Amino acid sequence: MLKFIIPTIMLMPLTWLSKNNLIWINSTAHSLLISFSSLLLLNQLNDNSLNYSLMFFSDPLSTPLLILTMWLLPLMLMASQSHLIKEPPVRKKLYITMLITLQALLIMTFTATELILFYIMFEATLIPTLIIITRWGNQTERLNAGLYFLFYTLVGSLPLLVALVYLQNTTGSLNFLLLQHWAQPLSTSWSNIFMWLACMMAFLVKMPLYGLHLWLPKAHVEAPIAGSMVLAAVLLKLGGYGMLRITSMLNPLTEHMAYPFLMLSLWGMIMTSSICLRQTDLKSLIAYSSVSHMALVIAAILIQTPWSYMGATALMIAHGLTSSMLFCLANSNYERIHSRTMILARGLQVFLPLMATWWLLASLTNLALPPTINLIGELLVVMSVFSWSNPTILLMGTNIVITALYSLYMLIMTQRGKHTHHINNITPSFTREHALMALHIIPLLLLSLNPKIILGPLY
Amino acid sequence: MNPLILIILLTTLILGTMMVVTSSHWLLAWIGFEMNMMAFIPIMMKNPNPRATEASTKYLLTQATASALLMMAVIINLMHSGQWTITKLFNPTASTLMTVALAIKLGLAPFHFWVPEVTQGIPLTTGLILLTWQKLAPLSILYQISPSINLHLMLIMSLLSILMGGWGGLNQTQLRKIMAYSSIAHMGWMTAILLYNPTLTLLNLLIYITMTFTMFMLFIQNSTTTTLSLSQTWNKMPVITTLTMLTLLSMGGLPPLSGFMPKWMIIQELTKNDMLIVPTFMAITALLNLYFYMRLTYSTALTLFPSTNNMKMKWQFNSTKRTPLLPTAIVISTMLLPLTPMLSILL
Repeated sequence: MLKFIIPTIMLMPLTWLSKNNLIWINSTAHSLLISFSSLLLLNQLNDNSLNYSLMFFSDPLSTPLLILTMWLLPLMLMASQSHLIKEPPVRKKLYITMLITLQALLIMTFTATELILFYIMFEATLIPTLIIITRWGNQTERLNAGLYFLFYTLVGSLPLLVALVYLQNTTGSLNFLLLQHWAQPLSTSWSNIFMWLACMMAFLVKMPLYGLHLWLPKAHVEAPIAGSMVLAAVLLKLGGYGMLRITSMLNPLTEHMAYPFLMLSLWGMIMTSSICLRQTDLKSLIAYSSVSHMALVIAAILIQTPWSYMGATALMIAHGLTSSMLFCLANSNYERIHSRTMILARGLQVFLPLMATWWLLASLTNLALPPTINLIGELLVVMSVFSWSNPTILLMGTNIVITALYSLYMLIMTQRGKHTHHINNITPSFTREHALMALHIIPLLLLSLNPKIILGPLY
Repeated sequence: MNPLILIILLTTLILGTMMVVTSSHWLLAWIGFEMNMMAFIPIMMKNPNPRATEASTKYLLTQATASALLMMAVIINLMHSGQWTITKLFNPTASTLMTVALAIKLGLAPFHFWVPEVTQGIPLTTGLILLTWQKLAPLSILYQISPSINLHLMLIMSLLSILMGGWGGLNQTQLRKIMAYSSIAHMGWMTAILLYNPTLTLLNLLIYITMTFTMFMLFIQNSTTTTLSLSQTWNKMPVITTLTMLTLLSMGGLPPLSGFMPKWMIIQELTKNDMLIVPTFMAITALLNLYFYMRLTYSTALTLFPSTNNMKMKWQFNSTKRTPLLPTAIVISTMLLPLTPMLSILL
């Protein structure tokens, strides 16, 4: 795993020592090369040979997330070029350094063997994200957004630290590969209930679960584009990844404890999808749509069937790419009119036709059109939740319809219809923006040809 | 102050603490405490303004009371054990009295009320000595009597300290008071683990002293004592803004900075002793501390030019303040986490 971590860390001297007109080119090109090298991990053999060291390993669950993380860094760098034009070179390099630090920490999080290393890296990702949101966001609300983000996550994760230390004292080791085999079945006692809560709350806040989701719209909306991209695509999936790892040790208590959170996520996905229909702020709409998709993932992980785990992992990867692409599209609007209000820039298809294609593709994947992997994820989740309890098909079906409604609402509102008069002098789309969108959608479409690589370890 | 006087006072200060730390006779320890206090009071009065007078008076009253209580505990111990050796105490009354006396000296809640006011009245360098050097002597005595300390008393005092340290600092804008409340909270963490694994008390003390030293040196270099003037750091010394932010986040206990190390080790040790609610409570109330460090971070490093505040802009001079060992201290207070295995057994 050092073959990814060390080049990523070395991107920092690359940025600081490059000439001022080469910082973007150097960092983007080299991070793209590193992301191509991560594709080697896809060769998952059955002989456990991907257990690299005492500290790092990779398995079919962490590999797609790792590849997604590493793919996203060049995309983030490409997306950030425009809004940092006016900054002095030192601050540009600082921004890129924050992104690279975040990347290195995320790689270590997804590949950690020891759960305490996972915890430390999980918490460590908060600091660069906080700095990106608070320092480079655009409105005064970003200060509040940073505080909400930091404190919601920390209050959830400090009990996780206590629970992990307790687990180490009782089972003797926190090495994930060993714990899978050593885990004792948990009975329904009060102390086990609190331990279950302590283990899961950190990830439920991160996902986010419906009642604890207040930090997400704030953080996503106030963050600059790279911050929004990494938050939506990767940091939310940290919660899902953590839950997938830790539920293997919390059986059979999960069957009893999961009920309130299943209710919250089933109801929450409908609530947040419905609120999307009433949003005026484009980024806020995409943020709430993230909450809705992640509620599906939470429901899938909590019912713990093979199909639901496959659906959860597929949905995480699909949502990562889709949501990141939607944020890039919203940012391309924001850079032109400096406002996130949807109705201010309407009828853009006439002015920016190729961008309208990307809007169409992004909206179609967001509403889980066949045969994309979004559909595979959602379908597997819907089917497994249906088998868990028949009446949930009503809620799931309603959610799919409302998701289609707001995705098309977003598409039609921004692209179709009569254009507003004040946007007839917006700048045409840059090739960089088209490349950005293409690099998001091409992996998404290609994965629908071979989805088994993102279906996780239970395939 | 006349350099000769200053040398005599500092020497007495150091000698007093050394006497407390190294003595094996209770009388000599008490003498060391008194020497320490007597030498520190003129140092606090370096600039004789009314604030400093008030601070010195409050310091004298609290420390003298604590020393008297200490002597009482020593005498009771003498009555029940017949000897003056500094080992664990042989009588619960003596133990309780001595714990309370040392808590007053350290500034543990509910005896913490003197710390913010005294720290506010004195110059920054003296404040640094108050919050770092003056903690060594009482903690060394607590370390030595730790087998006989009443667990309930100690835990209540430390939990209250963490709570009061977090809550009290929330409404402060004066940097010295913020550091005082941070000191109260950290003392709470240190004394919580004293009865289970005193090595971790020393580890926490070491990391705390390094972080407090770094913060005070950064303040001295900027010559700031309020949050408002600290927010001008981007103008005077831009690199220091990043380092201030990292040190503040480390004080808040965020991984992967070294301030996380004592908290992690203390939580691990407490869970090994079958206490799960106490470390969870301690960890969550430590987040109050993080809130006001975050406020400082925001105004210093994360909201930069061209966002303005009400301060006049300053000239960028070369700093004339002596801030020894600042780079070393910054590195130690932010990057020490990978060395945890070595440090938690070294002490």
